[in-house]
Order: sequence, then C-alpha cells, then structure tokens
Amino acid sequence: MSDFVENLKRDPLSFVEAHYNEGFTLRGEERDAIQLAGLRKRFAELRSALPALAKLADDQGIDAINTIDDAAPLLFPHTVYKSYPLSFIEKCQFDKLTKWLSRLTTVDVSGVDTTGIQTIDEWIARVEESTDINLIHTFGTTGKLSFLPRTKTQTRLSARLNAHTIRDFNGYNSGPDVLARHPPLISPSYRHGASAIIRGMNRMAIDYAGGYDNALFLYPDAYFSADVISLAGRLRAAEARGEAGKVSLAPALLARRDEFAARESNRAQDMDRFFEQAANRFGGKDVYLFAVWPILFEWAEEGLKRGMKGIFGPNSVLSSGGGSKGKVLPPDFKETIFEFLGFRRHYEMFGMSELMTNAPRCEHNRFHFSPVLVPYVLDPVTGQPLPRHGHQTGRLALMDLLPDSYWGGLVSGDEVTMGGFDDTCPCGRTGPYIEANVRRFSEAQGGDDKINCAGAPEAHDKAMEFLVGRI
Amino acid sequence: MPDSLNSGFTVPLLLRGQVIDEATVEFGGRRGGISFRTPDLSKHLNELTLSAPSRMADLYSISLDEIFDFLAALGKRLHPADNPYLQQSFELSRATSGLSDSILRHHYNGIPSFFERDVVRDIAERLIGIDYLEGWVEQPETIKRNTRLSIRAMGARAVHIIAGNVPVVGVTTVIRNAITRSDAIIKTPSNDPLTTAAVVRTMIDMAPDHPITRHVSVAYWKGGDEQIEQHLYDPRRVEKIIAWGGFAGIKHLTQYLQPGLDLITLDPKHSSTIIGREAFTDEGTLDSVAKRLALDVGVLNQEGCVNARVVYVQSGTDTDGLERANELGKRMFAALQSLPDHLSTPHKAFDPELKAELDALAFVEDEFRLYGGRRNEGAVIVSQSDSAVDFARMLACRVANIVPIDDVDTAVRSVNSYTQTIGIFPESLKTELRDRLAFQGAQRLVSLGGAATLMRTPQPQDGIEPLRRSVKWITDESADGAYLTAMAEQR
Repeated sequence: MSDFVENLKRDPLSFVEAHYNEGFTLRGEERDAIQLAGLRKRFAELRSALPALAKLADDQGIDAINTIDDAAPLLFPHTVYKSYPLSFIEKCQFDKLTKWLSRLTTVDVSGVDTTGIQTIDEWIARVEESTDINLIHTFGTTGKLSFLPRTKTQTRLSARLNAHTIRDFNGYNSGPDVLARHPPLISPSYRHGASAIIRGMNRMAIDYAGGYDNALFLYPDAYFSADVISLAGRLRAAEARGEAGKVSLAPALLARRDEFAARESNRAQDMDRFFEQAANRFGGKDVYLFAVWPILFEWAEEGLKRGMKGIFGPNSVLSSGGGSKGKVLPPDFKETIFEFLGFRRHYEMFGMSELMTNAPRCEHNRFHFSPVLVPYVLDPVTGQPLPRHGHQTGRLALMDLLPDSYWGGLVSGDEVTMGGFDDTCPCGRTGPYIEANVRRFSEAQGGDDKINCAGAPEAHDKAMEFLVGRI
Repeated sequence: MPDSLNSGFTVPLLLRGQVIDEATVEFGGRRGGISFRTPDLSKHLNELTLSAPSRMADLYSISLDEIFDFLAALGKRLHPADNPYLQQSFELSRATSGLSDSILRHHYNGIPSFFERDVVRDIAERLIGIDYLEGWVEQPETIKRNTRLSIRAMGARAVHIIAGNVPVVGVTTVIRNAITRSDAIIKTPSNDPLTTAAVVRTMIDMAPDHPITRHVSVAYWKGGDEQIEQHLYDPRRVEKIIAWGGFAGIKHLTQYLQPGLDLITLDPKHSSTIIGREAFTDEGTLDSVAKRLALDVGVLNQEGCVNARVVYVQSGTDTDGLERANELGKRMFAALQSLPDHLSTPHKAFDPELKAELDALAFVEDEFRLYGGRRNEGAVIVSQSDSAVDFARMLACRVANIVPIDDVDTAVRSVNSYTQTIGIFPESLKTELRDRLAFQGAQRLVSLGGAATLMRTPQPQDGIEPLRRSVKWITDESADGAYLTAMAEQR
C-alpha cells in the first residue's frame, strides 16, 4: 500500500500500471499528499517550458504550490485550447496556428511544415506526421474547435489505463484484462478522425483487439472531418442568429465535396455490412464495445428490427457514457441495448476529451475520480475554490496529473455536486465523487455552447448534407 | 439581499383597473437567484382580452388634451422617493437587472420626466401627428378632383412583449398606449417584472375607472406558454403584437401569425463605432475621442442594444497604426474607469463565459492586446490585425473590441441588418458614409459619444416607425353622388 502511495507521489504516471482499484482505498491525507506532490511536480516541470503557464503564474503571482487550493488560479479557462483566432483557419494561416500550439506543449513543433495546408484535417495530419503529437479536437457550437496537444505515447497510456479501469474498478482482476485477452473491438462509429473517442478507438484496435483485422467499425473508410464538424458549428451558430445561408465555405472544403458525397452514399451499405459482420464474424464472441448511449440505442433498435438479438458473448465489455442529452431515450433504453447485445457488463464513464483518464460510475450512481485527477469545485460567480469538505455544488475544474508535456489543469463548463472529501460513498470507494446530475452551465441559462459526444455525429451529418447539397 | 427577496416577490396581475394579487404560480428571475409568484393567468384570460371591439369606444369619449393631463398627473405620482410600488420594484430590479444600483436609481429618478405634458405632446405630434390622433384629417386635393380623402389614426388592441434591460421600455409602452388610444396587454420580462406594474398600479390608485386605466393590463407569463399564447394571439382578440426580444422568442411567436395579426418586432441588435483617422490629429482630439468612445461603450453598462461593441478605427494596420490603436485603447479604458456613477460602473454580474474568453486572450498576445478585464472593471481588447475577436457577439459588461483598419470600407462592409446604432467620428465621415451605411443595414447614426446619451428627440426606432405601425390608419373617401352615378350610366 505505501509503495503504491510513494510511487504515485514520485510519479503520477505510475498509476497506469498499478492496481486501479487501490486508487479508491486511499485515506484523505494520503490522497492529498499524492495530489500535492503531483501538482508541484507538474508545475516545476512545465512552468518554464510552457509560456502559457508561465504567463498565468506570473499574472497570478504564484511561485510555489503549498496547498491543493494554491493551484486553483493556475487552472486554464476552458477556452484556452481554442484561444486562436478563427481567422488563422479562414485565411489558411496554419503557420500561425502551429505557433499558437507551441505555447501549449513542450513538444517541439517548429519543424512542422505548413506549406500548402488549406484545411484543418490537413494540418492535423501534418502535425502527426512530423511530431510526436496526435492532436485531439473537440466540437463546439460556434464552429471553433479546441485542439489538445496529446502525444502518441499519452494516447497509448490512456488506453492502457482504461483497460486497467475495466479490469480493476470492481476489485483487482474482477473484470476481463482486455490487454491480455485481445477481444474483438466493435465501434458503431467512424474509423478515421481526430476526436478523443476516435483516437482512443484506433489505439484500442491495436492494443486491445490486436490489430484492425480483429476490429469492426461502422464506417471503416469514412473520415470524421474536423473541417466538417467546424462547419456544423458555424451553421448552428448562424441558424441561432437567423443568419443561416450566410456561412461561406472554404474553397478547399468545397473541392472535397465529391469525396464526401461518395462516402455519404455508402451509408446504407455500411450499416448492412456492419450488422452482417457483427453477427457473422463476431457473433457469440466476447467483444469490447465502446459507444455512447444514444448511438448504442439507435443501433440496438435497428438490430432488433432486423431480428437480431443476443449477438455477443456473455463476457463482453461495454464502455459508455456521454449522457443522453439532445435525444429522448425511453426509460428502459438500457434493457433494449442489453437485449440486443446479449450481455450487461458495462462501465459508464464521466470524461472529457481534455482528460487522459475518466471517472467511472459506481452502483450508487456516482462518478469517482482516481487520485491522478485533482478535482475542484469553483464558485460559479467568483471562480474561487469551494472548501474541500462536505458536499459542494459549483463549476467543476480538474487537474489531470498524467500529462507531462502539456498543462492538465482545466476549468470545465459543467455544474456538478461533489462529495467524498470527508465522507465515503456507500459503494466503499474513498475520495471525491460527483453526483450524476451533471449539467452544462450554459444549459442553466437556456443554451448550450457544446455539442457533446452524443450530438456530434448528428451535427457532422447535418453539415455534410449542407456541404454536399451546396452547388 | 433583504429577507423580502428571499421569501419571494409577488408580481400582481393588473387587469383593466383591477389588482389581482392572489399569487399561486412561481417563476424564477433571470438573475440574482430570486423567484417571484404571480396569479394564475389562465383563469383570467377572458377578462384580459377585449373580444368585443366596441369596448374601445370609451377611449374616444375623452380628448387628447385630457389624456395629456391624465399622464401628467400620473407622472407627478411616480417619484421613487414617495411611491411605494416603485420602491418595491427598485428593490427587485436591484437583484434581477444587469444595471448597478447607481444607474438604476438615475433611471428611476428620470421616470416622472417622461410623463411631462410637453414631452408627451411632442411624442404624439412628431411620431404620429396630433390632428390624426384627435380626428379625421382631410387630405389636400389631388388631381382626382371629384373625391375627397380623410384619414384618422385609430388605436388597436395589442400585446406588448417588452424588454427588461432598461426600465424605460415599460414606461414608454404605457405612454404610447395612452396617446394612441390603444388597448394594451403588457407582458413583463423576468429580468424586470415589476417596474411597469408599479407605474400601472399607481395609475389604478389614481383613477381606477378612467378609460386609459381600463385599457391597460400588465401580466407575467412564461414565454411559450401555449394555453395563454393560443388564446392571446388570435385576430379575434388582438390586432397587433409588439415584440422586443431575442431571436428565439420572436421566432417562436411567428407560429401564431395569420392574416389579421400584425407583428411589429424590435429585434435584438448590435451597435458599433467607426472612427476616422482624424482622431489621431493631436493629443487633445485623441483624449476627447477616447472619452466619447467610453460613453458609447459604458453608458447603461453596455446593457443596451445601442451600446458600441466592435469599434473600427482607421489607425492603419502597420506597426505605427497598431501603436495608435493601442494608445486609443489605453486611453479609452482609462476614460471608462472614470465615467460618472449614474452612467456607468463596474458590472455587478460579469458574464463568466466572457471572462473565460478574456482570460484566454493571454494565450494569443501577438494577436490581441487587452486593457483591463481582470475582474469586473470592463476591458478594451485591441486586435493587432483587422479582424474582430471571434466572440464579438458576446461582448457585454463594458467590454469593447477595437479593430484597426486601413480603409473605412472594411468597417462599412461589416454592417448588416442586425446593426442598429453606429457612433461615428468625425462628423464629416458620418455625412460621407451615411447613405452607404443605410444601404448596408444600419438604422441609427450618431456622433461618437451619443449612442446611449442622445435619443432626446422622438424618432424612428430600428429602421421603422413603431408608433405609426401600432395604430390603424383608417381612410374615409367621399365623392359627389352625381359623379358616382354617372359611372354607372357611362356607355
């Protein structure tokens, strides 16, 4: 036990290969010691290397972290990873976008040759070819994407940690070890793209399934385009302002219209092929499946309609999350999904693209943060951290201690109620947890600035229609 | 916050001279975490609307002079110092409004002046014409010599969905309704549910049976309540809807539109500024421009649609040009901090999303220079190229974005039909650009500094004449009988 604590104090990344469940047996002072040591370590390593962090620390007059709360003013606003001006993209100034990125990562991106780049997709690919970064982009209703400079190594570690979450969350070795058993991987989504989920799925296809031959994607050839999802956001924003039709399209994007159109026309065949292969190649096998609830439900309904049920083996694993926002699901939607899938074992996660590890939900409907995530609840008005005891409701902020090349501290747009500082969840796990009533702050004010995981494919489809239909 | 706020406010239903305050339905205010209760409007829908148009007749038993007298007498009772209803609505507004106490107080103290006889008379005369309000006005003879035409402006039955960003909106609605001899159902906004009610309640205390009192109702319901809105927005009961409001709200209303129902919208607008190169002529000029710009941004704490948000400055975009723009930004921020309290103060509820955007500017220092923006003091963002910030639509709480340009054309092209006011310096530039800006969609051009401080003379609003549209223009044509008969007999 104390080795576990000492190792975590020395290096938060030691958690990746540890017994995941031990993260929820810590006493308060042990957890505080680990988190304080982690905050200090990352601050010491990254302050001088990241101009963005140095500036924030200078502005706040922070030279040392002596308590966990001391780091609260150093958490980046959620706008940081989209703080570049949109004009960089509109005017194809990808050299400037790269320079902007360089302030947020210790990875040297000065060698990225941006010559001739006209689209975000091209830029993401170019960064990936010439550096250790495989960028992750998010989705936003304004059309402005956040770009997170995660390294290829970090993506791999993140997938390993997810595997250990499955193996150990309910007790060491209580679940299947997907890294050892190499179950087939099933993804009712895109194979190619740079969203956090798609990046993760690609890594898992190799590390869990043992290769793409043992993986099944709904759209094995289609690319979940950053340019298209950005267009989707701009369309939504324009619609909300009554200015739809005024959105202008970049020539480079228009040039790819035929390519997009061809992919769109394959949709129905893709669905047929997906069901056919799920049943014939992987039917009865224990698989690893990763998808958000609304997409799973859609898939299950379609499958049941086709007379398919109980298709996978009883020891399969489902990872899910993403809420159901924007879609109204019937109260028994999970039963429909399980009937179709043929198994019930599932892990529901609270996560964000910005985090390398998620918070799994326990049987008491609470999401538990492992010790490498330092959670804060901030006063929604003043931004000050609320006391770390009792139950607190406010804005969620998190410091992810795992990344060592970018700053893991981020203020979210989510309103949460957090407990577990000094009480223990009835499930027996110690440490901070949040209740399931998470909601976006902007939702409380009648709008939402974020397309969440559940809504993203739909937004992508809608933008695609707009693009393809535009002469 | 006083205890009375925590225990919840009652927003009465004011129904044609009657006060109904048996409040059973609870609503949340937009700011301040407070709630208020109102009577169940669905039980009073039939009394709220005037299904028999003949019941408008009593408004024509009194003269316009009597109406002016009535309003003047009402104004004398609307001094916040001795009007308990206004005192109560002030207390509620302190929590729900985006305006600081000092600014709110200034506006409250100004309420009686709106009702002065000369002021009201001036509105009636300039925005419609007293003779048309008071009777049938015979038109000059035309080339068709055999006919004569008379026109009269008649009141209409209208629902007013008013905005709550500044208290004056409800006040002018009451006045406009009276001088047009109309029948008003005023829906109050959740960020100012009581100010209009306070005015009308005072009216009820003064003369509950007066025709003007009997033709104004004040109610709150949640926008989108189908039961209520289906009843109201029906041409048998209402002829006009006058809506101030957000895009979503107005879009929602359009589902009820049908022949016989006229929608007059005062949409959400954005205002901007164009400053010519003459601003940099000398130190004194630059200082004065900075102060006038601070007024356009800061007055009303930027809660109004008239307030400047994006500011185009013809400073040039080379190194020297950017330096000039930065210097203006610096001086304007200083001027903003020195505005008198009754005009502008640090914002009491600074938008946290906007704050997050300002914080993120630190990560693109090459592109944007930020003055202020540390807490709630307001800020000036100076773009270091000719592009506005991506969050220009969110600019509020005394935050402006100065955009340096080489050519005023860049500024002119940015104007669209969502642009309301443009403050311009110098005057010669205003004259030079005014036709082009009007084509583009701008609706109000003012001398720099006048965006939120002028509007002294009654004038069109948002490119339309809402008062002329809120009345019905009825014509009476006469012709000689022999002339008409001859037409039938023509071979």
